Amino acid sequence: MDMKFQTPTQPQPQPQQQESQALANPNASPDQPPQSTAEAPPKQVALALERLAQAGRLIADVRLGADRLLEALFVAAQPHQSNKPLHLFIKEDAAMRQHLQDLRTIGRQLEGTGVLNEPLRSRSNSWGLHMPLVCPDGAVVAYAWKRQLAGQAGASAVDRTRLALKAFTDQKKRFFPHLDDRVHDQSTEPESKKHCVPQALPASNQEELSDCKTLSDVLMRLEKEVPNLKIFTYERLDWLKRASSLPSLANESPLELLKEHNFHSSSKLRPGLQNTVAADKVAVIELLFPSIFRAIVSLHPVGSIEPDAVAFFSPDEGGNYIHARGSSVYHVFRHITEHAGTALQFFLGIRTETSLYFLLHWICSYQTLFSKVCSKCGQLLAMDKRLALLLPPVSRPYRHFFPTVTSSAQLISSTNEQSSDVVSAYHIGCFSEDAQ
Amino acid sequence: MLLCSGIWSSPRSQCHTATTKRMTIKRVLHWQPNVGTSVNSQILNEVSQCVESINGVKEGRWKATLTFYKPMLRDQSLASEFPRDFLGIMVPECPNKYFFVIRTQRIVLEADSTIQTIMEKLQSYKMRVALNFEGFQYQLGDFQLRVGKVVPTHSENLRGIVMEVEYLPISSIEKSRQIMEEFLEIWQEALSKRTLPGHFMPMEPNFIEYGLSDHYSSQHTAVQYATVMAQLIASVQSVQSMRN
Repeated sequence: MDMKFQTPTQPQPQPQQQESQALANPNASPDQPPQSTAEAPPKQVALALERLAQAGRLIADVRLGADRLLEALFVAAQPHQSNKPLHLFIKEDAAMRQHLQDLRTIGRQLEGTGVLNEPLRSRSNSWGLHMPLVCPDGAVVAYAWKRQLAGQAGASAVDRTRLALKAFTDQKKRFFPHLDDRVHDQSTEPESKKHCVPQALPASNQEELSDCKTLSDVLMRLEKEVPNLKIFTYERLDWLKRASSLPSLANESPLELLKEHNFHSSSKLRPGLQNTVAADKVAVIELLFPSIFRAIVSLHPVGSIEPDAVAFFSPDEGGNYIHARGSSVYHVFRHITEHAGTALQFFLGIRTETSLYFLLHWICSYQTLFSKVCSKCGQLLAMDKRLALLLPPVSRPYRHFFPTVTSSAQLISSTNEQSSDVVSAYHIGCFSEDAQ
Repeated sequence: MLLCSGIWSSPRSQCHTATTKRMTIKRVLHWQPNVGTSVNSQILNEVSQCVESINGVKEGRWKATLTFYKPMLRDQSLASEFPRDFLGIMVPECPNKYFFVIRTQRIVLEADSTIQTIMEKLQSYKMRVALNFEGFQYQLGDFQLRVGKVVPTHSENLRGIVMEVEYLPISSIEKSRQIMEEFLEIWQEALSKRTLPGHFMPMEPNFIEYGLSDHYSSQHTAVQYATVMAQLIASVQSVQSMRN
């Protein structure tokens, strides 16, 4: 009797094994050499996509199976049931195990071809789209040209390279105009002198700035040095929640809103500042000049003093699009944001440790946005011929910018003394790189 | 009457049903004809063309209404105790709201638009004169302009021309003052090239006297319309007295 039972079962595993091997075989060859020249990148991408789709289907099957299991359990809990739920349960159990096994197989295949790997898994945003690329000279560039390489799976290698190069040169021109100037500059100033001036800070200033090593230092100094400014710090997700709750239709008075927010922020932070516990989680800094503008700066890495993006908005705007890489609906703030992006890259390129301090101070110079006339044409409002828009002076120079303090004179040597009134402002058309 | 133009839709120029708070600064100007002349539709056309010449993009129509009320009293001798200039104003940004202004007492009140039905049913006040302010609205970057004629309802008799200038990015009257003034200078200069018989008169009512804050709202707009109305009446009366 035993023999009878055993023999029918014995041959079964073998064909199953053979089947699974046969299944494994067609997949075996692409697994082996991802680096080999046998598979061109487009084919690899197509295979990876297909496997991801399979994985998706298996995950859906697992979900369905879980539902059925729960259903079977529920039915079994009812009184007066037959063995039917038990059979259902056993059947589903076997099916689920098979799905999970298949899922593991696909996962191993994806790992083998490099689609899933440790660094990718440990990053929250696994496509690295928010990670700026750091160049050998320490400068940070946006990622857009990198995306070109990844995205053009169907085009030829030549096309991809050409598109990537074009995107890269566009980005470079936009964010590093001073690099182009050095190459093409015909001015009388020798290149080395122009390069040195922003970096040759008086020794006394360098000492003071070296005090600003942590985020708390920077923000505390800024609070002291710039009256009228309201600074708030957030973890990244907290900022998104806050941005969505900002009233876009002003259904609360601004005063009420500030009071409410101060309450929220002070529950985590010292009034007006952050305590040292939360400082290492700060990812977003909000600078608010009430009734004038709101600027959002994001930090990367979290808790550091390295800014990676900045954007300006109306103090009355609200919504999900209010973040450091967002865009205001108003022309004036959109143009300031664009200019600020260039300034940010400049400050980062000069000296990373002081970049946040300089950037925040430079942002504060915009508190005179609606009152300071253009230093070139003497008007506040002017029609920009190219854009056909009436704008106030949205460009403030950054090249020789040095943060000024209106209070204690001991911080700044007299040669660099400028009050925020003296920091000049220009219309877009009145602003030129040489005028800085 | 739509305020949409490409991506410029929801975040601005809308009145939340629960509030009067607005996002933007607005100045209302009225046309002051030169002594001895009166308004006509030719002037309106010229003004519209001037807006387009400074890159204004026509977006759509707008309409506001202003109504003079008088109390329905059994005893007419009591009429003198009631203010003569009790105005009801509807602004397009807040179609659910109705604003009342008594200029001489510096009172402005915001009510739900159903108040008109209530007044009718109560037979407490009756419309004496009703006027429409209507025309086209234009987008100029962060500015929005409205040019409109003043006509009695159910009539095409042009009684005046008004203009609204709105600066959208901020809502503080103080902070936007300079920008507004420079815009009006630019506007007046552009308009003066057309040598029209008159000019736009900017005047700013004292909002503080009405109990309004620096943060601009539709109540401010209602007060401006009431003030403009008083000016229009004064100029029409002076023309009439000159003729007599």
